[in-house]
Amino acid sequence: MSERLASCRCGQLRAMAEGDPVRISICHCLACQKRTGSALAAQARWEKECVQVEGRSKQWVRTADSGQQTAYHFCPECGSTVHYSGGNFPDLIAIPLGALDDPYFECIDASVWERRKHPWVELLGDDIQHRE
Amino acid sequence: METAHTASCRCGQLSATVTGDPIRVSVCHCLNCQKRSGSAFAAQARWPADRVVIEGRSNSFEMVGDSGGRATFHFCPECGSDVYYDNNGRADDQVAIPLGAFDDPFFLTPNYSVYEGRKHGWLEIEGEHVEHFE
Repeated sequence: MSERLASCRCGQLRAMAEGDPVRISICHCLACQKRTGSALAAQARWEKECVQVEGRSKQWVRTADSGQQTAYHFCPECGSTVHYSGGNFPDLIAIPLGALDDPYFECIDASVWERRKHPWVELLGDDIQHRE
Repeated sequence: METAHTASCRCGQLSATVTGDPIRVSVCHCLNCQKRSGSAFAAQARWPADRVVIEGRSNSFEMVGDSGGRATFHFCPECGSDVYYDNNGRADDQVAIPLGAFDDPFFLTPNYSVYEGRKHGWLEIEGEHVEHFE
């Protein structure tokens, strides 16, 4: 079975995910832009039992306008978020795509919060579900 | 009077306020920038250091890039967000701020897209004024 390794930029916090992700998505919302510092966030999600985490992390919980909570785990030494869970997918663990040692996938499944999409970003793929 | 723009972490305690126009607005697809952002690419703008005012507590982490360049990233110890970074030794008089850290991240568009050899196949950076580099 395939596996993907994720780590923070100093390497002490790691996650290993087994098998193919359930969902690969892009989020353009302002909270995701703030978390990544980028123009969008990209993440892959696995069932919780498929992900093993090692190393020290600090948790930061964000409560959305809807009241839903998401718990983000970042390395206290270098600040990288390596995994998070909660929100719309309580049974899944999300790993930021860029945290993966091999972040490349053939395609993405969904692009959400497109009302916040930067006009200079284009996502390619006929099968992407787009949501405003 | 010049417009000021504020960048901050997610919990809000660490901020950087810039005044005037940036020197450079760029997107980088390299693996280091993917790792630090967690995203498929990083987007950032650079200002002269004397046009940036920092407030709040930060931890820092120094990273050495593939090209040997060093950068020190400053992140919030409470929520982990990077709010600014320095390119040590190359541009000591400049401060870089991740685009997404700005409370309004839409006031800038990139002029450069670099390390496109590492660009994800499902992504394009558009704009007639964008210079692309492999």
